[in-house]
Amino acid sequence: MSEPLITLDHASKRFARGYHVKTLAELLFTLPRRLAQQRKDGLREHEFWALRDVTLDVSSGETLGVIGANGAGKSTILKLLFNILRPDRGHVRVRGRVGGLIELGAGFHPYLTGRENVFINGSILGLKQREVRARYDSIVEFAGLSEFMDMPVKNYSSGMFARLAFAVAAHADTDVLLVDEVLAVGDTSFQLKCFDWIARKRKQGGAVVIVSHEMNNIRGCDRALYLSDGRMVALGEPLEVINRYLAESGASRDPRADDVGFVAGDDGKPIAEITSVEWLAGGQPVACVTPGQAVSVRFGYEARSRVQDPVFALTLFHDDPRFSLTSKGYLVHLWSSDAFAGRTLEGAGAVEVELEALHLPAGQYRCKAYLFEGGRLNPLYVRDGIARIECTRPDWSDERGLVDVRQRWSALAPAEKTT
Amino acid sequence: MGIAAEISEVAARRELIVALAMREVRVRYKHTLLGVGWAVALPLSLMLVFTYVFSRVAEVQTHGIPYPLFAYIGLLPWQLHANIVTHGAQSLVSNRALVTKVYFAREVLPLSAVLSALVDFAVASLVLAGLMAWYGVAPQVGLALLPVVLLVQLVFGVGCALVLSAANLLYRDVQYMLQVGVLLWMFASSVVYPIPRGGGFDWLVWLNPMTPILDSYRGLIMGRGLAPEFWFAALLSVVFALLAWRWFRRVERVFGELA
Repeated sequence: MSEPLITLDHASKRFARGYHVKTLAELLFTLPRRLAQQRKDGLREHEFWALRDVTLDVSSGETLGVIGANGAGKSTILKLLFNILRPDRGHVRVRGRVGGLIELGAGFHPYLTGRENVFINGSILGLKQREVRARYDSIVEFAGLSEFMDMPVKNYSSGMFARLAFAVAAHADTDVLLVDEVLAVGDTSFQLKCFDWIARKRKQGGAVVIVSHEMNNIRGCDRALYLSDGRMVALGEPLEVINRYLAESGASRDPRADDVGFVAGDDGKPIAEITSVEWLAGGQPVACVTPGQAVSVRFGYEARSRVQDPVFALTLFHDDPRFSLTSKGYLVHLWSSDAFAGRTLEGAGAVEVELEALHLPAGQYRCKAYLFEGGRLNPLYVRDGIARIECTRPDWSDERGLVDVRQRWSALAPAEKTT
Repeated sequence: MGIAAEISEVAARRELIVALAMREVRVRYKHTLLGVGWAVALPLSLMLVFTYVFSRVAEVQTHGIPYPLFAYIGLLPWQLHANIVTHGAQSLVSNRALVTKVYFAREVLPLSAVLSALVDFAVASLVLAGLMAWYGVAPQVGLALLPVVLLVQLVFGVGCALVLSAANLLYRDVQYMLQVGVLLWMFASSVVYPIPRGGGFDWLVWLNPMTPILDSYRGLIMGRGLAPEFWFAALLSVVFALLAWRWFRRVERVFGELA
């Protein structure tokens, strides 16, 4: 196998909280204490490890997705790879030209025209002026801004700015591509262009590192890295890593989890409640599913009084409000109907619903659970945000639209030629 | 990384140095009525001020050179140096978007500040030619050595830009100190009056390469040759620039964190 393009060997980076410069007065007053102070764990006062002992490599043609909570060290890794930061311990090696979408349009000057900025930005990204000239038309066409190239960039809309910056970045020859959450900006067609470009770079043998909070972007990578407090928690198959991250980070619980309504008994407590909602695939709890996957949902309940003919229900709300298509805002409604007719709930227990194939648009969902008693219109118990589920596609290009229709295609007898 | 590799890392980015210097020049005179005329107007107006001060208020010994010409020959390269020092000191701090987001050899930024100062200098030099014609000073053979003097001044200037840009990033005190520092430095050099030799100020001439450099500009233009301390100043400048660069490289690894 060829030598990896990116090698991190026990790379560690420490940061100081606050500013590094103390005023002279501060320096004098803290001098005795600082002299007496021992460096413990290689850290001085107010220092912490932003990244600790990260060891991995990324080969040519490989895509690595990096996930983790804010401050977990994701951007620090990118900056180490970009040579903007240097490791305090360990080694970072990158072969080939590094480029990326860390900050689009770094070096763009608002007073200068689009054209002038293309040349400067191209040069910053490592292109020769001759190369920028040769690619200029292609850059302008890619950005779709041919009429605006002689306009100062300060008059650009933010979308135009991003498109031009991206167009230049896309025309820089890079072997190692670093992408930091920029895909969040821009409209859908811009994002598709980004992904298309990343896919092409990958085919050409480049290594790609993507940092994103959008699990759908990470899912499409070859491997995923989960960072927490600067340490590697998991590295491997994206879906497994994502599931672990979502489970551990508490992302599967919702801040609205306390939004509970119920019918109270004499003691003021709910007559019956749904204690948990768990998503399962192949018998294992999951936080992330693939469209079309067979999954089941398990409801835990506790009935203090007897509940006749219980009906369980679950609605799913997409986090993106654009998916609030119905008046009630939910995208999916599971309803047990008369499946438990003639039964009675008493004490603690669980019911489960199997979903043969869950076709959901990619994204994150909030679950709201209901428990009804037969014949009653109002629920005994409602809990919003009882669980979260994320749906990701294994391939970015595999877009199915809002409604995924089962389809079977076949060729008919060849059409007669009309000539 | 070896020194050779470091040099080639910087050399590989020479087009970027030029591009950033051009950006700087373009932006500097955008939204001004006078445009690049300011490159001329500044040394010219300083010359008028000092001409008034030193020919009406106090008399200055200029070895027979008309005072306005004497002052302009001093102010023109001094203005170059002052621009190198002030723009150079700001070069890393004011480009923090680049320093924290993209990697290229960091020397590019102070070097492009030096180059952009050189553009102003070139424009303002045209006025010098006009002044020489006005005062009937014929070009001397010694002018052939002017590029050498300019080169030495630039080597010294690059050293200053490297040290000050990095120092300013570490401690922003530098930019405040410079406001008065540049003025002090001007009056400690042969800008608007000659620094006398042998009067207890000799250390000021030997330690400050700017005085031999400025005196050499005057000497060559007026046909008297280089200042006696010039070659020492040249040596001092080269050594200083090398030390400055080594120090710059040593602190460069923390730029990404501090900017």
